[in-house]
Amino acid sequence: MDYALTLRNNNKIYSRINTRQHDLQCSADFNIRFVMSGSENYQLGKRQLYIHPDSFLILNKGTQYASSVASNDPARSFSINFDQKFLDDFKNCWMHKHENLLSQPDLIQKQEREFNETIYPFKGDIRYNIFHLKHHLDNNTQDELLINEYLHHCLINYYRIYNDEIFKKAERLSFLNNSTRVEILRRLNLAKEYLYSYYNKNISLEELAAHACLSVNHLLRTFKQAFNVTPHQFLVQLRLQRAQLLLKTTRYPINEVVSMVGFECPSSFIRLFRTHYKVTPLKYRQTA
Amino acid sequence: MKLKYVPVYAGDFEEQLKFYTEKLGFKVADNVLFYEDAECTLLETGDYDVLLAISKHNPHTDTKGCIILNTDDCLNDHYRLRTAGVQFDTEPEYQPIGLVAEFSDPCGNKFVLLEERNYNEL
Repeated sequence: MDYALTLRNNNKIYSRINTRQHDLQCSADFNIRFVMSGSENYQLGKRQLYIHPDSFLILNKGTQYASSVASNDPARSFSINFDQKFLDDFKNCWMHKHENLLSQPDLIQKQEREFNETIYPFKGDIRYNIFHLKHHLDNNTQDELLINEYLHHCLINYYRIYNDEIFKKAERLSFLNNSTRVEILRRLNLAKEYLYSYYNKNISLEELAAHACLSVNHLLRTFKQAFNVTPHQFLVQLRLQRAQLLLKTTRYPINEVVSMVGFECPSSFIRLFRTHYKVTPLKYRQTA
Repeated sequence: MKLKYVPVYAGDFEEQLKFYTEKLGFKVADNVLFYEDAECTLLETGDYDVLLAISKHNPHTDTKGCIILNTDDCLNDHYRLRTAGVQFDTEPEYQPIGLVAEFSDPCGNKFVLLEERNYNEL
């Protein structure tokens, strides 16, 4: 269902079925972009990113981007633009509440104006809240107070993800200097977004390292330190997760799912799937 | 054997009944005489078999209790109840089990509004 909603406080929500390419545009506010089905391509400068239903993208105010549909089927997109004042009010209130919880308050102070524009995992609380919100909007809820309640919680969820993905993981890196840690983590997130985007391609370590502006050795060592898995393990998990989604929501034959998510051989896919989820892909599809 | 009635402490019966029916939207299912002089009002809290029982004189419930209500959308129910005039003791908070908000009824029984969330699923 297509709609564009502008609330009285200037927060905006868009739900669209995209079938075409959009020209270069400039994001007017801080915004969070989800894809409910299909996938979308975003071009941010030289970076080509792909969003799938298990991940979301954030864009800061003023970022230039072009987007297009990347899947065979149309992409159902859902996005929220946050008005600057709403965002500022939220930040003040959140900072006030969580000052003691933050591992490195000085760092978030420094970064507070600009978020890391990258792909984040769309799971857990933010997923529940967005689905509830979308359900209300699809059913034509007009109650702006309720809608804003969800938007407020969406920011709470995003801050938590941000804190978990950036600061908690930066702490694990064995560099003495804080700003070095955050810079390395920013680059590791570039590696991660590359894996999120090209998960079904044959990715070489050299390519991945180049996208992250790190040497191969450096990338391998710090990736494992920060995320507890190697880039290869991360990629395999991501492929399995996306295969799981395809098995659940589409009718593509298993052999096709295998190649869609980038595995070369069905038997090794089945083995990995079974080890990971304790069920075979076929059984999973039958019970999903 | 199964759980059927949960007696709830009611300090001021009328006030309690009004709070349950008007603010929380519980429905009076029945009035039954449990014991001599102990008429209980049974309240439906939704699509469940378990009913709450409150009474003017009930020898079984002289202490305050805690009741956990299940919801599939905590933010929505929190908002709806707050609009109906229920004062919450805590805002919706994220706990390992899911999203949780707490309020009390007029005589101090604690109610927990719980939306269980599965964090392992995709």
